[in-house]
Amino acid sequence: MRVEEWRSQSKRGTLELCILLMIEKRERYGYELISELEKRPVLAAKESTIYPLLRRLLGEGLLSSCWRESAEGLPPRKYYSLTNTGQTYLQTISAVWEDLSAAIQEIKEA
Amino acid sequence: MDKVLENYLDQVDRHLRPMQASERADIIQEIRSGMLELAAAGLDAAQICQRLGGPKELAAAYLGDAITKSPGFSWSRLGSILAFCGLAGLGWMLVLPFTSVLAVGLMFSGAVAPLAGTLQFVLSLMGISVPYIMFQLGSYTAPPAVAFPLSIVVGALLFLAGRRLWRFTVRLVQTIGQQYRKLGVQ
Repeated sequence: MRVEEWRSQSKRGTLELCILLMIEKRERYGYELISELEKRPVLAAKESTIYPLLRRLLGEGLLSSCWRESAEGLPPRKYYSLTNTGQTYLQTISAVWEDLSAAIQEIKEA
Repeated sequence: MDKVLENYLDQVDRHLRPMQASERADIIQEIRSGMLELAAAGLDAAQICQRLGGPKELAAAYLGDAITKSPGFSWSRLGSILAFCGLAGLGWMLVLPFTSVLAVGLMFSGAVAPLAGTLQFVLSLMGISVPYIMFQLGSYTAPPAVAFPLSIVVGALLFLAGRRLWRFTVRLVQTIGQQYRKLGVQ
């Protein structure tokens, strides 16, 4: 129970970082992000987490979106990409993450 | 698309009503797209619904994020907050300000009433009448000798009621806290 709570708390912020990192590589749609995350059990998150999160990032102007038709038999997809603000934001939180993990490593080795 | 899934989307849409129509339509379209992807991956309607969780919870997740998005006041935002609290089982949250203030008020009155009653009684024994301390119930004003025990009983009752309400408030806060955490990332 205690572990679960800690896990979900640390995941909250990390998930945002991971999603932005994936979108930075190329534009992505929700289902794709969810499938990618699912390959790593520690990051796995459900639709009910990812879609609202994407919507919030969109509303905050970190992401932009556009609907595109896809191949035969597949639905139109909503693709997300980083805005300039999003790019800057990602660089900053990425650096914070680096600092954090370096500090943890340092404490472990001290 | 499957009837079960259409029905699911209808329910989400209904619960999102405090949001703008255009925003709502976009949300529904994205969920629909995700459903079709899952279907293409081989899941049936029941499995898809299970993955997405209850329509109420899904709508609450959107409303919850919309609430934290902007700090300003607007009627539609208030609507979102009310709808979110309802969906998340947080309706009780709206009662908190009243119960907590009332609890403190009751406990305070409960403590003051016997003090005033005692003061009035002692002073009346000394032949001093204090016009602004009196025990009044409707049109009946109790003489100091009666008011003294009455004030103690009534004070005790008020205090107990206040303490009861306070404990209730604290328990409510704890319950709401737990529910609120459950709404976070699983």
